[in-house]
Amino acid sequence: MANKIHDNSIRDEWTQKIGALNTLAKGVEALDTFRHQYTTPFRNSYDLELDWGWIELKLEEKVALLKHKEFNDQQFLNQTAYGADAQKEADTVIAKMAATTDKYEAERIHIGFRLKFKPPIMPVNVFQDTDRILGTKLMELRNIGYYDLPLAELRKVRGVRVITG
Amino acid sequence: MSISAATKAATDALAANRAPVSVNAQEVHRWLQSFTWDFEKNRTKYPTKYKMANETKEQFKLIAKEYARMESVKDERQFGSLQDVLTRVDAGNRVHPKWNETMKVVSNFLEVGEYNAIAATGMLWDSASAPEQKNGYLAQVLDEIRHTNQCGYVNYYFTKHGQDPAGHNDARRTRTIGPLWKGMKRVFSDGFISGDAVECSINLQLVGEACFTNPLIVAVTEWAAANGDEITPTVFLSIETDELRHMANGYQTVVSIANDEAASKYLNTDLNNAFWTQQKYFTPVLGMAFEYGSHFKVEPWVKTWNRWVYEDWGGIWIGRLGKYGVESPRSLRDAKKDAYWAHHDLFLIAYALWPTGFFRLTLPTAQEAEWFEANYPGWYDHYGKIYDEWRARGCEDPASGFLPLQWFMENNHQIYIDRVSQVPFCPTLSKGASTLRVHEWNGKKHSFSDEWGERQWLTEPERYECQNIWEQYEGRELSEVIAELHGVRSDGKTLIAQPHTNKDGKLWTLDDLKRIDCVFKDPLKAL
Ligand SMILES: [Fe+2]
Ligand SMILES: [Fe+2]
Repeated sequence: MANKIHDNSIRDEWTQKIGALNTLAKGVEALDTFRHQYTTPFRNSYDLELDWGWIELKLEEKVALLKHKEFNDQQFLNQTAYGADAQKEADTVIAKMAATTDKYEAERIHIGFRLKFKPPIMPVNVFQDTDRILGTKLMELRNIGYYDLPLAELRKVRGVRVITG
Repeated sequence: MSISAATKAATDALAANRAPVSVNAQEVHRWLQSFTWDFEKNRTKYPTKYKMANETKEQFKLIAKEYARMESVKDERQFGSLQDVLTRVDAGNRVHPKWNETMKVVSNFLEVGEYNAIAATGMLWDSASAPEQKNGYLAQVLDEIRHTNQCGYVNYYFTKHGQDPAGHNDARRTRTIGPLWKGMKRVFSDGFISGDAVECSINLQLVGEACFTNPLIVAVTEWAAANGDEITPTVFLSIETDELRHMANGYQTVVSIANDEAASKYLNTDLNNAFWTQQKYFTPVLGMAFEYGSHFKVEPWVKTWNRWVYEDWGGIWIGRLGKYGVESPRSLRDAKKDAYWAHHDLFLIAYALWPTGFFRLTLPTAQEAEWFEANYPGWYDHYGKIYDEWRARGCEDPASGFLPLQWFMENNHQIYIDRVSQVPFCPTLSKGASTLRVHEWNGKKHSFSDEWGERQWLTEPERYECQNIWEQYEGRELSEVIAELHGVRSDGKTLIAQPHTNKDGKLWTLDDLKRIDCVFKDPLKAL
């Protein structure tokens, strides 16, 4: 049967790949590569359009388990899965966001932060609050002068190719 | 000290400083206000552009004990009526079969809205800093829990005591098949709980509750009663008694941010986006549910809409907030245009897609067609004729081998889905204001049906990421998708959805669909 929603060969294939990840370093690399390739509006490919959400979840689950195995409590709460100081990483992104007044740059910073650090890469206690601070700034910038540009201009700034309309 | 001296001392002390024998609710409320938090260190978990003031008041001043007493009385009346008198008079079987189907959609969907309203008001509780305002939101959390149970109970009651239970029970399992669910989750779920906490309040309380609960929860009871349904009014009017508190909470949200300069920068944009988000789905869907989901008509939807959405909400309610800088949404005029034809446009598509639902639809009868033509002149020439043709081709009969969806394909009428609202539309058949816009961005095509939604997407594209049914099922055969995604009854072959409510009519099965070999095709691929 072609392309079933829940059970299909693509998911089987990824289940195998994920099963083979046996160190945190490997798991983190696989998750990071996958996210850049297949997730967010900035993704490189829409090939896994119907399955990326499920696969990403399974990868996250695996990374969380590997982290649990390799990290002690101290590391678990304070370090990213790469081993860096989580709050320092967060502070760097927050400073970058604070310095910008451009909504498109702010969007790249926020989406980029999620791409790189979404749990289990960054501990939730640091991630969530950072995400709140970044999101607040992004929403402020986006909502200022919301109707200033006519649609035709806005389309150009967004960089869409107009097919109809 | 001797015992008598001790007793005397205690008696004297009591005389000077009486022990309370009872405490009135207002005293307790005043006492509660003295519990404040350290707001310097206590921050909310949720992002918002606004600052909610520490001194905000709340009109209802309820305490938990009073609240519980009041709600338990309401529950007694409601469940008492349902379980005693309504069951004795066989209320479930006195409902017109068409309306029985409509309640599969209305109550199951409203349940989702209520459930998300629990989360939304919990979020607002966390975001507010004034004790009174927090208390107001907290009472609403309790209300919304009550409403979630009530909506679930309506479908349970219909299942147990009524006709054709398939779809009243376990509707959720069909949630990925048809497009109606996805649009509903945009308004009832994402709109209430994602993004800025205050924007969520505007979606839920200022627009959802103050504007659309009037038609959704009150008008629906008139239509229900006219169609023999005493169950829905018994429950929904009890729900609506709580909504005043929720509208007041929405009002207080605005009051709490009014002095913050952020309000002047963002409030009217957020309000306009919230209004457009909510109306884009509710205007056509409610109109369709009332007029096409009933046998006996109350009044044309356009009249209800003008009274409650345009005059009462857009004029009076928003007018009262004018002193806080709130303006009527700039999209209100475009919405008013939608309120005339959009629900007719949507029913055409909904009926064509009937196998993807979890309810039975019926084509308007000759008598109903007259009513439509009288109230919407021009209706017959545009829509009525098409229904006559479908009926003549046997669309209700499983032996006919005819699905109205094929008619769309034969006549090259493409059905697109608006990326932002998730509402399907057919540009070559729309009498309403929908216009087709298709953009390609980063290798992906997106379709839109109006300027307001297009701007929302251009501003926040990541917010509207999703896959619509064409993208999900491209290349797959219809009966196969329905079988995989639980669209059949307990015999394993008869569809939950049916294109008629005729008791003697035959029911369609998976095999009837399979013979037609209808394959999903994404119209965007051809562009
Ligand atoms: Fe509610
Ligand atoms: Fe409510």
